[in-house]
Amino acid sequence: MADTISLYVHIPFCTVKCGYCDFNAYAGSDHLIPAYSQALIKEAQLWRKATENRPVTTVFFGGGTPSLMPVEEMRTVVDGLRSAFDIAADAEFSLEANPNSLDEPYLAGLLGLGFNRLSIGVQSFHDEELKALDREHSASEAGDAFRAARSAGFTNVSIDLMFGLPEQEMSSWQGSIEEALELEPDHISLYALTVEPGTPLARDVARGRTPSPNPDAQADQYEWTEERLEKAAYEHYEISNWAKPGYRCEHNLTYWRCREYLGLGAGAHSYLDGARFAVAALPTKYLELVDESFKSLENGSDTKMRQVVSGESVTPELDMADTLILGLRLIEGVSLPDFHEGFGVDALERFSEELSEPFEFSLVEHVDAHLRLTPKGRLLGNEVFARLLPD
Amino acid sequence: MERSHIRNFCIIAHIDHGKSTLADRFLEQTGLTRGSRVEVEQVLDSMDLERERGVTIKAKAVRLPYKADDGDDYQLNLIDTPGHVDFSYEVSRALAACEGAVLVVDASQGIQAQTIANVYVAMEHNLAIIPVVNKIDLQGADPEAVASQICDVIGFSRDEVLLASAKEGIGTPEILQAVVRLVPPPSGDEAAPLRALVFDSKYDSYKGVIAYVRVIDGSVERGHRLRMMSADIAIEALEIGSLTPGPVPADRLATGEVGYVATGLKDVGLCRVGDTLTDAEQPAAEPLPGYEEAKPMVFSGLYPTQPNDFGPLREALEKLRLNDAALSFEPETSVALGPGFRCGYLGLLHMEIVQERLEREYDLDLLITAPSVEYRVRKTNGEEIVIDNPAALPPPTEVMEIAEPWMTITVVCPDRYIGAVMELVTGRRGVFDKMEYLQGEASRQNEDSVQAGERRVSLQYQIPLAEILVDFHDKLKSMTQGYASLDYAFSHYEAAKLQKLDILVNSEPVDALSLITHSENAHAQGKQLVQRLRQLIPRQLFDVPIQAAVGGRIVARETVRALRKNVLAKCYGGDVTRKRKLLEKQKAGKKRMKRVGNVEIPQEAFMAVLRLERKS
Repeated sequence: MADTISLYVHIPFCTVKCGYCDFNAYAGSDHLIPAYSQALIKEAQLWRKATENRPVTTVFFGGGTPSLMPVEEMRTVVDGLRSAFDIAADAEFSLEANPNSLDEPYLAGLLGLGFNRLSIGVQSFHDEELKALDREHSASEAGDAFRAARSAGFTNVSIDLMFGLPEQEMSSWQGSIEEALELEPDHISLYALTVEPGTPLARDVARGRTPSPNPDAQADQYEWTEERLEKAAYEHYEISNWAKPGYRCEHNLTYWRCREYLGLGAGAHSYLDGARFAVAALPTKYLELVDESFKSLENGSDTKMRQVVSGESVTPELDMADTLILGLRLIEGVSLPDFHEGFGVDALERFSEELSEPFEFSLVEHVDAHLRLTPKGRLLGNEVFARLLPD
Repeated sequence: MERSHIRNFCIIAHIDHGKSTLADRFLEQTGLTRGSRVEVEQVLDSMDLERERGVTIKAKAVRLPYKADDGDDYQLNLIDTPGHVDFSYEVSRALAACEGAVLVVDASQGIQAQTIANVYVAMEHNLAIIPVVNKIDLQGADPEAVASQICDVIGFSRDEVLLASAKEGIGTPEILQAVVRLVPPPSGDEAAPLRALVFDSKYDSYKGVIAYVRVIDGSVERGHRLRMMSADIAIEALEIGSLTPGPVPADRLATGEVGYVATGLKDVGLCRVGDTLTDAEQPAAEPLPGYEEAKPMVFSGLYPTQPNDFGPLREALEKLRLNDAALSFEPETSVALGPGFRCGYLGLLHMEIVQERLEREYDLDLLITAPSVEYRVRKTNGEEIVIDNPAALPPPTEVMEIAEPWMTITVVCPDRYIGAVMELVTGRRGVFDKMEYLQGEASRQNEDSVQAGERRVSLQYQIPLAEILVDFHDKLKSMTQGYASLDYAFSHYEAAKLQKLDILVNSEPVDALSLITHSENAHAQGKQLVQRLRQLIPRQLFDVPIQAAVGGRIVARETVRALRKNVLAKCYGGDVTRKRKLLEKQKAGKKRMKRVGNVEIPQEAFMAVLRLERKS
């Protein structure tokens, strides 16, 4: 059977850019959406040949705010993808959405296009926290959006929440988790607020206007949550992700299992044929470069991917490190027999020096032919990952 | 050039009072440089660090061809002087090469401590002094008040003081005229055996060590065999010449002239400032007076953060010493840090310059221990030892007495800061010597003018060098809103109640964190130091106790709690490359730290002692 592949589509538009966000997202560029849809279709065509015979098993629209795209624009893009790629009939088809852009007709439209999984960026069920995060929706709107998704017919809905907000009390976080559980989502992603360099949040922290998130409080919240979600019958399957049985996010598993994916859209990342590469991040630049590449393809002059602006080929050494670093994010860890089969070396032997301290301080363990993080290690993953990087 | 038409002079000025600008003007007016200011600046300050720090680290000389008002051609030799008190010996040798000095004082700032010190040195050498009030065009300038201050403090009449703005070129031609008129031509015996004063030297990778010299007696000729009298080595004058400002080779430097001699030496330490060049065949009977060996006053340990950088660090130090004879270093081994070097510096600024150059020019990640002075220790067995590393202090039972170096410091500031300065100095074991007003009541021009109208005082104290090594100057500046200036010179050694404060990290003593402190301060400092270290040492995978011990007894303890959370939230949209970069950054951060036992300690922790609060 041919190697399958995952497809990521980046939609870089937002109505407001949140203070903590350092993703490739732009507010006030909605007028570019029609041209952007066309560019995505062209970019899909550019990759058609290279992905022939590689069935697409997952499609993920991320952003930005993909739910800003009107259904008709979305249809254009999805049709374009289907004509360029061999998308499996049972493929997981996800869309990231903001609560305030979801109503039933829109959601029904998405279902009609083939979307079968929705990831709603709720972040918090407290209005004052949402405001501090620059989110445009209210807590009640988040609940409404979730219920709307259910009544429209989405059977796989995920909720994103952020913890470790500045000055966030444990009780406040617990409140958000309980509200989320009441909605009975199929999947939950929980992310610790991170102060990313260059964001308004980082500036506020630097100027002392916002306290920096407290890692100990984040650890307390995380540990409480692990227990609570286990009680609620969610499987913890990745450092930041929990799912009801059968609802793990297949698309994200592609990343963690170090398998290949193609990213489309401004700033999208790919791992294809042993190389990792990225597309121009600025939407206008992206439009221009895709257009040039497409024209050359059409008139037969060349097949250069001008929109790809950076990349690296993954050496076996890097591949080993990536496999471990990404795989250790999974609660089950990295299968040692699989590693041996893939690289012809024993991971524990090859990385014995790098892993000696992680073992000594009980950050990792060797269980059931897997190398995995311990519960303590899940909170200290970087301590393990950084040691595994090649020099 | 006829000796009667040679003038050798220098400029004495406090930092930022306009020495470089004035020198640039002189060069321009004598036609040596034309064009942009940047170009001109580069002539005298050729080291990046010098420009950035606004000080001239190494003296150089430039020959200015000058047509005076009398219609005659003169040869003016401008000898640059280092602007920092760490280099006071170098300043004294540069002054010894001159017959005159232009004293530049900022029209808004008035006379500063170091200016007075340098003027006294100039007077000791019988230099003709031409006082200039500079920056008269600036807002806040009070040229008349400053002029009368100069008259009062140094003893001039008002009509001798020139007013100028070097930046605008105002008054600068008059200064050159005054140099010709007032600075005496060089004396010296043309027929006597050669004696040339080395007032600076530098290493040139093509020509070897270049000596900058002033010919006092006799003359130097190209190709002659010469002798460095103090170093007692033979050299050959491979090339001689003058700087205008680039090197212009010549066959001969005559009595009274200033120029350079390419010696072919490989080690600048053999061509020390203050040494005397003489003729090998016809040597002078006596060298010129005033020569001193380089005496390091401040010491610190330098360790590579990566053990395999020891070799490169040694090479870098050797290369630096090629051009910096005052730098001393020898290998030492720290129990905690492994092999490294103990380095000696003239003073704190010198230390900073050396460390910065090592990191910047040689790309070395260094661990620098807190600076220390040299202690003289009398042991109970009668033996006397000298230590420059607190870790080397013998156990208390073996120590009879410890003596430490004391300095004489002079602070010049407006009189309303006397209380603040007094408090600062006595809080650091300083002892008051004397106070002098720099200016009579009569010369006050303007009651409101802080800069010039206020009465300024000169305060002199004795103080242990160890007490001013760290942040003293900064504290002095901030307590006096920047109005105080400081000068210091070694005074004597004195016994004191001193004790070693040891620091234990994870129950292991870290020798590189030890310090010697006065018994009265030991407990308080120990407490503060462990508190600082708790903040500076990042959380590790386990609890790390940090303890301070005096005489084997623990006096303070803090704990760096084990790290609980350090994990990336997510890997967004499959951007694995970026995630890896973040991890690489973390890994690099770890690499910059020094592993002591199994604890990673950052460089800042070793300097924590620098930020200890004093009683003042």
